[in-house]
Amino acid sequence: MPEIPQNGGYMVAAYICAGVIYLGYALTLWLRARSAVKGRE
Amino acid sequence: MNDPLARARALLSVGGWITLVALLGAAAVVVLALQFTPTEASQGLAQKIFYLHPPAAWGAMLAFALCGIASIAFLFLGDLRLDRFAASSAEVGLAFSAVMLTTGPIWGKPIWGTWWDWDPRLTLTLLLFFLFLGYGALRNALHDPRERARYSAVVGIMALVLVPFIHLSVYLFRTIHPKPVVLRPDGPALPPEMLRTFLLSVAVFTLLYVGLVIMRYALGLARDHAESLAGGDHA
Repeated sequence: MPEIPQNGGYMVAAYICAGVIYLGYALTLWLRARSAVKGRE
Repeated sequence: MNDPLARARALLSVGGWITLVALLGAAAVVVLALQFTPTEASQGLAQKIFYLHPPAAWGAMLAFALCGIASIAFLFLGDLRLDRFAASSAEVGLAFSAVMLTTGPIWGKPIWGTWWDWDPRLTLTLLLFFLFLGYGALRNALHDPRERARYSAVVGIMALVLVPFIHLSVYLFRTIHPKPVVLRPDGPALPPEMLRTFLLSVAVFTLLYVGLVIMRYALGLARDHAESLAGGDHA
């Protein structure tokens, strides 16, 4: 039976990248929008 | 509710809650993907990027397609709400594209042996990303709301043409990128537990798209209101 490749580091890197982008965008969007609806922008 | 700022506040609240639910759903997808789906024998753990990368691509293509459709509708109807939606969808699409274009090469390196290949699918996707960066730059450069909406609608429609072409590129050209394993004429080629997690991931990231677009629309509405009061510019 062929050995399963040991490449878990790539999986972890991909999940971290996606998390940073999604969370970062959602947070900055919320902060920008909150500031705009309060009439500060 | 005639006050635009009150409407924007209500939309921001709805969008914020939907986004929060979607992000919690995304956390559940990560747990399911890491703990309750089998490890694919030939690709190893890197295959689990599958639960992130195609849903991000789906979100990006959905966002750009809806931006293009709203742009067509704007040119016919002249309703600035359509332009506001198109701009919102385009910006959210860029976030999904950023995930697609980072997780793709991270998956490609252990499987293909290279981070990137200038093959049709990858190149067209990168081109679409740059097109929408240009779309955002164009919107920031134009000050008249109607002129801004008209010019950016043309770019949005041009980009819309690329979306089906990118989907079909794996059939039209010889490409390093694999063909779809779910959206195939013969039905999905996946074990049930992988398919369930994948479909949940697609649903969660579609919900995330909805939440983010509502929040971005609220931002656009508040900015347009400020612009109409000041007689200045905004996006």
